[in-house]
Amino acid sequence: MKYAYFPGCKIAHHLPDYGTSVRSLCTALGITLVPLEFSCCGWPVRHENAVASVFSAVRNFAVAARAGLSIVTPCKCCFGNLKYAQARMASDAGLAAEVGNLLGREGLPLPDRVEVLHLLNVLDRDIGADRLRERTVRPLHGLKVACHYGCHALRPGNVTEFDDPLAPTVFERILTAVGATTVEWDLRLECCGNPLRGRDDTISDALMRKKRENARAAGADVLATGCTYCQMQFAAPSGEEKTHPAPDAILFTQLLEAALGLAPAPCAMPDGTTEAR
Amino acid sequence: MTVFRLLLVSAVCLCLAGIIRRYARRLSGSALPRQDRSRGRTPWQITHILLHLPVTLITDVLLLRRTLRTSPYRWVMHALTLSGFTGLLLFHALDDVVSRPFIAGYESTLDPWQWLRNLLGGLVVAGCLMALVRRLRTRGLRPATRLQDWLFMGMVAGIVLSGFALEATKIISPNVFNRMTDTYFVPESDADIPALQAFWSARNGVRFSPPAGTDAELIARGAELHADNCSYCHADTSSAFLSRALATAISPAADALNAAQTDAFFWFLHVGLALAGLALLPYGKFLHPVATPLNLVLRNRRHDAATIPDTATAARLGFEACTRCGECSLHCSVAPHFAAMGNPNILPSEKLVSLRKHAAGALDTSAINALAEGSRICTECMRCTDICPSGINLQDLWLSSKQALRQQALDGPNTTIRQCTATQWAEVLRTQGASRFEQVRGNGLADRAESFWGCVQCTTCTSVCPVVAVSEAPAKDLDLTPQQIMNLLRMGLKDQTLAARMVWSCTTCYKCQEHCPQNIQVADILFELRQIATERLRERDLTACPLPGPSAPARAPMDNALPHPAPKGSSGDPA
Repeated sequence: MKYAYFPGCKIAHHLPDYGTSVRSLCTALGITLVPLEFSCCGWPVRHENAVASVFSAVRNFAVAARAGLSIVTPCKCCFGNLKYAQARMASDAGLAAEVGNLLGREGLPLPDRVEVLHLLNVLDRDIGADRLRERTVRPLHGLKVACHYGCHALRPGNVTEFDDPLAPTVFERILTAVGATTVEWDLRLECCGNPLRGRDDTISDALMRKKRENARAAGADVLATGCTYCQMQFAAPSGEEKTHPAPDAILFTQLLEAALGLAPAPCAMPDGTTEAR
Repeated sequence: MTVFRLLLVSAVCLCLAGIIRRYARRLSGSALPRQDRSRGRTPWQITHILLHLPVTLITDVLLLRRTLRTSPYRWVMHALTLSGFTGLLLFHALDDVVSRPFIAGYESTLDPWQWLRNLLGGLVVAGCLMALVRRLRTRGLRPATRLQDWLFMGMVAGIVLSGFALEATKIISPNVFNRMTDTYFVPESDADIPALQAFWSARNGVRFSPPAGTDAELIARGAELHADNCSYCHADTSSAFLSRALATAISPAADALNAAQTDAFFWFLHVGLALAGLALLPYGKFLHPVATPLNLVLRNRRHDAATIPDTATAARLGFEACTRCGECSLHCSVAPHFAAMGNPNILPSEKLVSLRKHAAGALDTSAINALAEGSRICTECMRCTDICPSGINLQDLWLSSKQALRQQALDGPNTTIRQCTATQWAEVLRTQGASRFEQVRGNGLADRAESFWGCVQCTTCTSVCPVVAVSEAPAKDLDLTPQQIMNLLRMGLKDQTLAARMVWSCTTCYKCQEHCPQNIQVADILFELRQIATERLRERDLTACPLPGPSAPARAPMDNALPHPAPKGSSGDPA
């Protein structure tokens, strides 16, 4: 199990904990993450310029192809945009020619299709719930988790091929394997609001607040995220949140680390302990 | 020599004045808004830095640890140039100050000094050659190479090469020989001078006209005279191995060169270039031999975005410490965006140049817009900060400058669009007509009837939209709903949709597209409408609505140069 590791731009400065956690979890599970010098996935510039967005993504495929590796990323927006770029390249001949031309100027060949996976897919496919259950030393029994899926991995389903876009199960499969109880909640597949952060903070806040309230109403202790942007959104300081305690957002890799005994629990556990060891 | 003194003093004065001007210049607060955030802790932080000073000086300043970490090729290149040039500066240029007082029996034409000078000069030339090859051969470096880069490289190489040329033309010059014998040699017989000439010609490469004798006896006599009179101050010119090789190479043309007094020309060139370099020290990357070590010491071997001490002075030091090596731009995460969009401000090294000009108030409107675009496109991945061989805290600079641009409502089309109503923008954008982007790339989803003609106006997209769901009055708050946008497109009224709040406040969750029973790419179309509007604004350099906005004060069209407060929520917030 060897993958080209695509952390995305935000982890290094904005969410270094996610990077540490992903690496430690993968090392423990025998997944080798090869660091390659990737460029931006192209997601942030997609509002402005389609060519820059797709070219930046495709350049990453050329880098991964040169190393002969599939790409794994812990960020759902990176994942979504990389998959989107593949779909655009296959359907838009004009754009594909333009991108090929830009790649050629860098001396890179247009790569064949490179496999792009989110870390959840890799855990589900390469490790599997059974092995995760075997490896669990401190099951998260009693912890009620609301799985927050993240839009860009789910939809459009025909492009991302992440899971069933209307009824996905992979997140719950992974977390129940380590003993957590996952809750049913209406806004499970809704947006966290991060894409509007800094663009329309009012709506961004409203979307986040609504999700949090819904997760709390469903009885969740924590909200599990598997995306850098989603986690940044829920962790963002917001005056409103302080007066309305709602479930904290926890990176799913930190929950797995706690269950596998690799790190202390990232949140208060139902049995009253705050530490896994 | 008085001419030399005069020039030297002028160059030193120009240099000092330039440095004072560069650091004393007040930065416009609108480019880098920052207050000292750690005033109370600064003394302790400075003590901490001073404690680590010896280690930092050795590893980061002398051994160029950061350069090695980023690129071993650049390390070799820079180490060659730095060691060679520093050696020449201290022991050759400043020999009256350093070598003579501190080294007993120092004479520039004695070994090992004569040999060392050639060695050090050779190191610099090798370093400059490596730099030239790097600039020419590294593909991503071309857009990050400016006149000042060539000028600096040319200046360093020029000083050393003119030095070699000076030494070589002196070696072959009978004039120089005569000047020395006239001053220092008292011949005992008429045969002494021809003998000494024969020896110097045979042994040390002086080219007399007519040629000196080659008789072995004459040369042997010359050798004796040389040993008694010259050898105290003159090692064999062969120890000046590079200059002597050059002298041999040019000796066929010796008569012409000597007649033209080429050595005098090269003396003026060598001294002139060195003094010009000194006078240019305060400008651009010429300052880096001073500014970069200062910044390296202050950064205290950190690679992250922490600013310690967090003061405006510390930020300022980093601001001026760029050597323009271009490594940041070679490794930049958004360098592909530059390749696609062609705005050099996307590359960190070029953005820094613009930011410095902007801070000095020297950018025009369209250059500020280009800087704003470059700043906006940066993803804050911190790679440039991690690898910068000069240790500049670029991340902190970008975060500050982005904040400044945001405060001036220069953070992109998303802000610009919200400064007028959708109807006003529709009028402006309709009058402008399709951008080059639409004409060339054109025929995208929003312009192609097939993409939305299946729409049956079932309103599914609107009912699943989370943005519509959190709006109390979507018609007022969002201008249009997704299904209304599809309808306008169907009617060929694309311009009416370009500035709708629904388009710009789409959260890109793709629920509309996923749930559409007719498989219409609703979210992809909204993406494209934003791209089209962005291109139209970009084409006209519009960073503010040219019409008076509903809550913004009226201003003249294209009056973008002044900072405006962002009219937040000008088109109505869903409360």
